[in-house]
Amino acid sequence: MTNQLEAAVLVAILATCGLYLCLSRRFLRMLFGFLLLSNAANLVLLAVSGDPTGRRSGTIRADGSAILSVDPLPQALILTAIVIGFAVAAFLTVLLYRLYTDRATTTLDGLQVDPPRGGAAQREEEKST
Amino acid sequence: MNNAAAIPILLPIGAALLTLLRPKPSQARRAFVTCAFAALLVVALWLLAHVADHGAVVLRVGGWPVPFGIVLVVDTLAAIMLALSALTALACSLYGFAEEPSAQEHPLRLPLWLFLIAGINLSFVTGDLFNLFVAFEVMLLASYGLLTLESDARESRGALPYLTINLVGSALFLATCGLTYSLFGTLNFAEIIVRADQLSGDPRLTLLGLLLLLVFGLKAGVFPLYYWLPNSYPILPAPLAAFYAGMLTKVGVYVLMRIFGTVLPPTEHALHQLIAWTAGVTMIVGVLGAVGQSRVQVILSYHIVSQIGFMVLAIGLHSVAAFVAAIFYIIHHIIVKSSLFLAGGIVIRANGTDDLARTGGLWQAAPWLGLFFLLQAMSLAGIPPLSGFWGKLMIVQEGFVQREWVLVTLSLVASVLTMMSMLKIWLGAFWKKPPPAAVRVDAGSRRMTAVGVAMLAVSLTIGLGAEFFIRIASRAAHETLDRAGYVRSVNDANTTLYPGKHP
Repeated sequence: MTNQLEAAVLVAILATCGLYLCLSRRFLRMLFGFLLLSNAANLVLLAVSGDPTGRRSGTIRADGSAILSVDPLPQALILTAIVIGFAVAAFLTVLLYRLYTDRATTTLDGLQVDPPRGGAAQREEEKST
Repeated sequence: MNNAAAIPILLPIGAALLTLLRPKPSQARRAFVTCAFAALLVVALWLLAHVADHGAVVLRVGGWPVPFGIVLVVDTLAAIMLALSALTALACSLYGFAEEPSAQEHPLRLPLWLFLIAGINLSFVTGDLFNLFVAFEVMLLASYGLLTLESDARESRGALPYLTINLVGSALFLATCGLTYSLFGTLNFAEIIVRADQLSGDPRLTLLGLLLLLVFGLKAGVFPLYYWLPNSYPILPAPLAAFYAGMLTKVGVYVLMRIFGTVLPPTEHALHQLIAWTAGVTMIVGVLGAVGQSRVQVILSYHIVSQIGFMVLAIGLHSVAAFVAAIFYIIHHIIVKSSLFLAGGIVIRANGTDDLARTGGLWQAAPWLGLFFLLQAMSLAGIPPLSGFWGKLMIVQEGFVQREWVLVTLSLVASVLTMMSMLKIWLGAFWKKPPPAAVRVDAGSRRMTAVGVAMLAVSLTIGLGAEFFIRIASRAAHETLDRAGYVRSVNDANTTLYPGKHP
């Protein structure tokens, strides 16, 4: 197996930052945290697919000899995971944006109390009057 | 014949797309969805009967040979879970239809519900780890949608922790899929079984098992990963809350069973000990969490956590008898827990709230509801001869056989405390004198109670006809723990050739 220290370090940094941001109370940070986390997971898959110069892949030619290439299966997994991650990110964006427009808040704490004056809700009202 | 394994996934997706084409809520749309759920139930029961006679139904999707392509495997356990998901969906949707006229229904509720069921069913029948990830994502996306669809901003605050923790869980699951692939070079369960046996005793295998336990324990709501559950379920409308309470956490339990019973080798004793002890703590923490609560749906949500502990404890004890108990307990719990949530929904409708300080007088106003709640609550606490008793009895018996005295004591303490919580709801909502505000029981509530009484009938059948259900559970448990048999039945699928071109 080839040396994959760089990938491990990169995944660790991305996952740490992602987790930290996910635990935040601000909507935008939660969204960015999720994006970083899903990319960290994708990188783990990419690291698994190996290095063309080192690790043998699972693919073989019709005559049975090994092809010197990356393993294509993890790539297929990443593709699927990216599509799913995109859908989740889209949902999260819409949800958080709706919370912002409805309650004029961009933090979790703002959801507990009555909506403060100002922000998007007031702008809406000003527009309508 | 093998194609039948795909029906439980394709039917709800097709029905969901059709309901999206007719977005306006109407009686016809409701009738259509009811028919879809009923059809799912019929297919699942047929699969259950078929699997009993002919062994597991295995479908190679696209005709690819087994370790390389996607496989769908319906064995007895999967068929039981399919039947339960269809039955719960049918009962909860009929309850929802009785609750409000079709004009008031949210147009996206039924399509999302159908997608949710497609995801749940795929996670039951899938034969490889990555498809399990896809199934979880389908299920979770639909569940995020349903959770936030009809909630106001204050309630959305309860939904956000559910979202965040599941997003983190999904990323972890994806990374775990990658690590599994790098360890085994395959994601197919049957092939993993073969290759894991060669790695037996390897610390990497234990680490992988630990990661999988983390991912699926999160979905099941096992201590210390349970806190999202009691905050998020009570914000759902009653029929959906009942469906979530019955099915969603049980998907996690099912997958734990599949992974630790079938896929990973039975020699991982340290992991099994860890599972059993976290389960023991889960039982107590869940039941203690309920003590301080005063809202019916919140109390019931904490009890889900506690009951999950019982099932996971049985998985941790890891013997055939324990798995029989776990499977029987799942059958019992899905029915009983969802009907208790349905009863909670009627309490909210009659009193305008489910805060026990401001409810009361329901025993006089709605005796059928009282009877239905009382019997299901006693079943949950484990009073003989109701269904909950047999499951608990088998788990405690197996605990004694394995000399796990502390765990057995914990489970008995949890049972007593469950009884106390159920009594609290009974006294607060049913037995107490009526509150100053009028108790309103209208025709809708009576129809909703009728659905609950039908669920009660199912639950009583399970309790009184326990022998029959234990026999089914026993067959499922033997199949789940028979790893060689699983590999054989999946590999045998290669011998059936499909007509047409082959890849």
